[in-house]
Amino acid sequence: MISKNLREEVHNCIKCGICLTPCPVYKQRLVEVASPRGKVQLIRNIMEGNLELSENFVRILFTCLLCETCTVNCPSGLKVDQLMKAMRVKVIEKFGLPGKKKFLFELLTGKRLLPFYLFWGRVLRNNLLPLFPVKGKVGTIPLKKFPRLNRQPFLKKIPEVISVPEPKGRVLYFTGCATNYLDGEIGRATIEILVRLGVEVIVPKDQMCCGLPIFLAGAPKMALPNILKNVALFNRWDVDVVVVECATCGAALKKEYPHFLKEMGEKTEEAMALSQKVLDISQYLMKFDLGKMLKPIKGKVTYHDPCHLLRSQGVKDEPRALLRQIPELDFVEMAEADVCCGGGGTFQWEHPRISENITAQKIESIEKTKANFVATGCPGCRLQIFGNLKKDGVEVIHPVQLIFRSLSG
Amino acid sequence: MLTEKILHEFETILGKERILTSKEDLLSYAYDAYVEEYLPEAVLFPKTSAEVSQIMQVASTHRIFVTPRGAGSGLAACSLAKQGGVILCFTMMNRILEINKPNRYAIVEPGVVVSEFQKEVEKIGLFYPPDPGSATVATMGGTVLMNAGGMRGIKYGVTRDYLMGLQGVLPSGEVIQTGSLTAKDVTGYDLTRLICGSEGTLAVVTRITVRLLPKPKARRTLQAIYNTIDQAGNTVARIVEEGIIPATLELMDKMIIKALEDYAHLGLPLDAEAVLLIEVDGDPESVEKQAGIIAEFCRGQGARDVRVSQSEKESEQLWMARRGAFGAVARMRPTCVIEDATVPVSFLTRAIKEVITIAQRNQVQIAVLAHAGDGNLHPLVLCDLRDKEEMKRVEKAMDEIVDFAMSVGGVLSGEHGIGIAKAKYLPRQLSPQTLNLMRTLKNTFDPLGILNPGSFLECAP
Ligand SMILES: Cc1cc2nc3c(=O)[nH]c(=O)nc-3n(C[C@H](O)[C@H](O)[C@H](O)COP(=O)(O)OP(=O)(O)OC[C@H]3O[C@@H](n4cnc5c(N)ncnc54)[C@H](O)[C@@H]3O)c2cc1C
Ligand code: SF4
Ligand code: SF4
Repeated sequence: MISKNLREEVHNCIKCGICLTPCPVYKQRLVEVASPRGKVQLIRNIMEGNLELSENFVRILFTCLLCETCTVNCPSGLKVDQLMKAMRVKVIEKFGLPGKKKFLFELLTGKRLLPFYLFWGRVLRNNLLPLFPVKGKVGTIPLKKFPRLNRQPFLKKIPEVISVPEPKGRVLYFTGCATNYLDGEIGRATIEILVRLGVEVIVPKDQMCCGLPIFLAGAPKMALPNILKNVALFNRWDVDVVVVECATCGAALKKEYPHFLKEMGEKTEEAMALSQKVLDISQYLMKFDLGKMLKPIKGKVTYHDPCHLLRSQGVKDEPRALLRQIPELDFVEMAEADVCCGGGGTFQWEHPRISENITAQKIESIEKTKANFVATGCPGCRLQIFGNLKKDGVEVIHPVQLIFRSLSG
Repeated sequence: MLTEKILHEFETILGKERILTSKEDLLSYAYDAYVEEYLPEAVLFPKTSAEVSQIMQVASTHRIFVTPRGAGSGLAACSLAKQGGVILCFTMMNRILEINKPNRYAIVEPGVVVSEFQKEVEKIGLFYPPDPGSATVATMGGTVLMNAGGMRGIKYGVTRDYLMGLQGVLPSGEVIQTGSLTAKDVTGYDLTRLICGSEGTLAVVTRITVRLLPKPKARRTLQAIYNTIDQAGNTVARIVEEGIIPATLELMDKMIIKALEDYAHLGLPLDAEAVLLIEVDGDPESVEKQAGIIAEFCRGQGARDVRVSQSEKESEQLWMARRGAFGAVARMRPTCVIEDATVPVSFLTRAIKEVITIAQRNQVQIAVLAHAGDGNLHPLVLCDLRDKEEMKRVEKAMDEIVDFAMSVGGVLSGEHGIGIAKAKYLPRQLSPQTLNLMRTLKNTFDPLGILNPGSFLECAP
């Protein structure tokens, strides 16, 4: 399962340790196995036959946010996250998913893949509660702070093709599960903005969960059907651009699908073609001159960089530039905006103590800015930040929601 | 041998949480940034000097080998359990205890990461100059025990020059204090300096007092590009001769340029033979003036392009890239061994050319990086550890580099230490009498020989 390239890469780790200090998990634990270097070296030992695939190793491998900070910091150019992802698949093949998670992902896949956020939103709120005896919390997040499900999935409420007269562009919009099931507001904002800009929007009804949370957990076979379906679907529509407003889905479509299919021995051409067309909504909106259309919003906004947007997709300036365009809205940069919020998908649930400490630092940075809006383009980050905010009166929000508000005046 | 019983004694000191013994944990303390590896029997994480003292007492009683470790970024296996025993790892003992602005000193625990410390003091207008390429990972303890240098050596010296005092624990468990909080102090032998750079063989350091400087008000970075190594070398000579002391003066050869381009895309020309990266700092007016004069020198020696950074951000990018140079070069081949020979600065150009010839003669790939201002060469030898044939040629090239350095009055190591990497050369630089005295000293500090066994003195012939 681990491709030859990745195998060779292990030997390029010069053990310099430059990846240690930036790694949020290492910074909390301060032991070598919690660091990227430690994990890479253990993987090498496994490949060289000095170490068995032990349960302890599995624990070590999963004590990682997959935030990719190590990858961007490694001067040797090791794709540390890719290596760890591939290794996750290998260990899950041997050990299967651990108890709780197995249950989770069986739910997620079922016959059809039940989306990730359906799990967080509904299942957790009632059926599964007894499984989590943690004082009304899941990981670090109080249950009462989990969002409610959309009354009706977003995709059901809108037509598949939203036409405009004399379109200035034609995009395919991949909503992602969070928007579809939890946060229809964001979907509505996205579509409204696009329509007002004179862009024709296609929202395929049969798009599936991007599958990233599941294959990051090491269960690629469960995710494969979705991925193949999504790839095929997108290439059926003739559009210039595929827009995504979820950082994780964007990372999946733009970057992970081709890697992943290659590792699985599948064809990659279509996925590659798709990946070329994908843009984060902030990238796409920057192509237009929104400035004149925006009306003032009073207040202060700060921005948190989602790992899947900043490091996976390399999108940093556009969301900030978008927010700065809103009249009277004061943009303040928080300290360490690019450090992971500590959520990491199911990480916060499996390692609440580590996660809590990482998130505490993020919350502190946010509070120091005295902002009343925290904008970020990832549903996982929004959940994690909102769930851990102590202060009331701070709104955690997607940048497009603010833009939409500003457009509407 | 580390028995269950002894482990239990350690446990009563530290608790179970701060002792690691799983195979996975041991394997991940078997390496540093050098190529060889040694498996320890346990890894202990103290948080106070009292704990360290108790640990050393237990170790002395049972003759357990103890090897201190910081971040494991060392380049000579100094922090590895070369003869087994336990690793005493300081990453969890990492508080900044005091930053004293009026008297310009700070007291830190050994596990503080150098760059984090630098950031903290700079926040209040102070400056801690020692700046190894590994500053973002190396610990204060590790840099003290290696007497780490770095890029600012030419103007600001090395770690030793900023040390005021230490708290240490002897192998017996006794706690000692060296140095003081005063700027001047000639009381007794200078044990601070003796322990500094001792590669963790004399005492375990549990508290460090360092001197701080006021933060320079301005800095500028210059980048000069040359068609030949000679031109770059002559520029260095010219600058040194003229009595201008830049904060840093780094030289990179063609291979480094290529690697850096692949890594950081700085827009360096791939056909250039050498690049000088120069930083000047101080008061704004003198910085401007010095930058101007240096730029003139560069042009005068035939630099084909001289660029002066226009902003802090631009300088930062250049130095970030330089910091990543070692890793960036390592992209090219699986293994990268760093040489660290240092020559009197007037021999610098000759030394670089010699290294290039040695590489060609032995058919090995060597990229040259140098802290040019202080004659500290860093030839990076690129190879593949799995290729035995090639490693033999590498060995031979290393021998020849040492030969050359010795022949012009140079030293074995400028800043990375001897460790096991260079122990075999030790008698080339130190006389039998000197070696003997060092061994006697070691014996006085550590009569049982339990602290960092297998280190440079022991493996020297
Ligand atoms: C990319 C890279 C660049 C580098 N650049 C430079 C450079 O520019 N200049 C330079 O000088 N070095 C450089 N180095 C080498 C290395 O980073 C330094 O030697 C550094 O000082 C090691 O610090 P550490 O915390 O990693 O110590 P370790 O490697 O863990 O230990 C170093 C030594 O200190 C001892 N030790 C550690 N803590 C204690 C303690 N509390 N008490 C007693 N003994 C202790 C250990 O036993 C060992 O002998 C570089 C290394 C890398 C990988
Ligand atoms: S930064 Fe890269 S080369 Fe250095 S230790 Fe980490 S993974 Fe290895
Ligand atoms: S992905 Fe993030 S958490 Fe995981 S090892 Fe890399 S830096 Fe650490």
